[in-house]
Amino acid sequence: MTTEKIMTMSQEEVLNIALTAGKILLTSGAETYRVEDTIIRLCAWRKMGYVKVFVTPTVIIIGDEKAHGFTCMTRVTSRTTNLSLISAVSEMSYGFGKWSLGYKETKSFLAELRKRPAPSKYVTSVAAGIASACFAVMLGGNFADFGAAFLTGFTAMLAVKQLAVLRITSFWENTLAGMIIAFVALTCCQLNSDCTQEKIIVGGIMPFLPGVSFTNGLRDFMAGDLLSGNSRIAEAFLFAASLAVGIAVVLRIWLA
Amino acid sequence: MLVSIFFSYIATTAFAVLFNAPKRTLIPVGLIGAVGWSVYLLMRDYFSYSSPLSIFCGTVVLSLMSELFARIYKQPVTLFTIPGIVPLVPGLPIYQGMYYMIMSAYSIGIEKLIKASMEAGAISLGILLVSGLFRIFKVRRDRRFVYSRIKEQ
Repeated sequence: MTTEKIMTMSQEEVLNIALTAGKILLTSGAETYRVEDTIIRLCAWRKMGYVKVFVTPTVIIIGDEKAHGFTCMTRVTSRTTNLSLISAVSEMSYGFGKWSLGYKETKSFLAELRKRPAPSKYVTSVAAGIASACFAVMLGGNFADFGAAFLTGFTAMLAVKQLAVLRITSFWENTLAGMIIAFVALTCCQLNSDCTQEKIIVGGIMPFLPGVSFTNGLRDFMAGDLLSGNSRIAEAFLFAASLAVGIAVVLRIWLA
Repeated sequence: MLVSIFFSYIATTAFAVLFNAPKRTLIPVGLIGAVGWSVYLLMRDYFSYSSPLSIFCGTVVLSLMSELFARIYKQPVTLFTIPGIVPLVPGLPIYQGMYYMIMSAYSIGIEKLIKASMEAGAISLGILLVSGLFRIFKVRRDRRFVYSRIKEQ
């Protein structure tokens, strides 16, 4: 047991790694307790049992209970959903006892993980389009609805991904997505009389509904993280409301 | 019905791609979504239970399957539940509620929105039930691990 490579790292180095790993988890949409557990587990591998962690959706604080202890903290401003990063980091945290990399290599491993390219915007948009189209059919839509819903989901996701470089707030992103969905769906209905407006719009909004924030919020409540649970559910309601605003504006103007 | 189950499989897989899930989990994720959706359809159409109850049962089955697959594939449960519940998310009543509200038909709109919140609540209850149950084991195992590491000192 004494030959473990991690025991050669200093405590500060392990803390640094744990903080970075936690930040990756939080930005990829992991639940609060998973971030806390991972940091505590990484520190436990280095036999630091006294570490205390506090995580909310926007901050990670690591400290201890001593009067002259240490504290390190990091802020998280944007959160997306990236399940492969969650998978990679938790694999690392469970297998940290047999970890063969030194401190520098681990840091560069984590930095590489963060920079790992997400699927291109076309792949994402096509996936969103397929998902929208399938939902339109699941609600009882016909072949015309399938095509129109694909177009709706694809266009909306592509537009949102294109505008992501401008770093507009997520509230505006969702409003814009709602407007595009409603506009494309209504245009399709105008051009082809087989289309059902309701099914296309419902299919189109599916990729933008905040299901992940909502589910994670509930899981946080279950784990006793009341602060995180509340803020995630508030975020979910805000996103749903902004999507509705976008759709409502276009419907109102078009149908008036 | 078979057609819609097939499409729920594809929709769930597409969502997993959207959330950038690891490639080897794509097939089981689709299966989980399709099973949740078919349990929901079966309860609603064949046994004619109410829609929230059917969604609750679908979510419980889907969460149990996610816990199982999480152990088989040695991945976090979130990887399976997040895309898996997507077919059950009440998009239709949410949209209908909003539509009737802007058409000034407030009473129907509120009725639809209450239906949507009941269905969303059913999903959350199903997830809470199963994940709360399995957390008991996980918390105990994690504590034992941390204590065993510190005692060696």
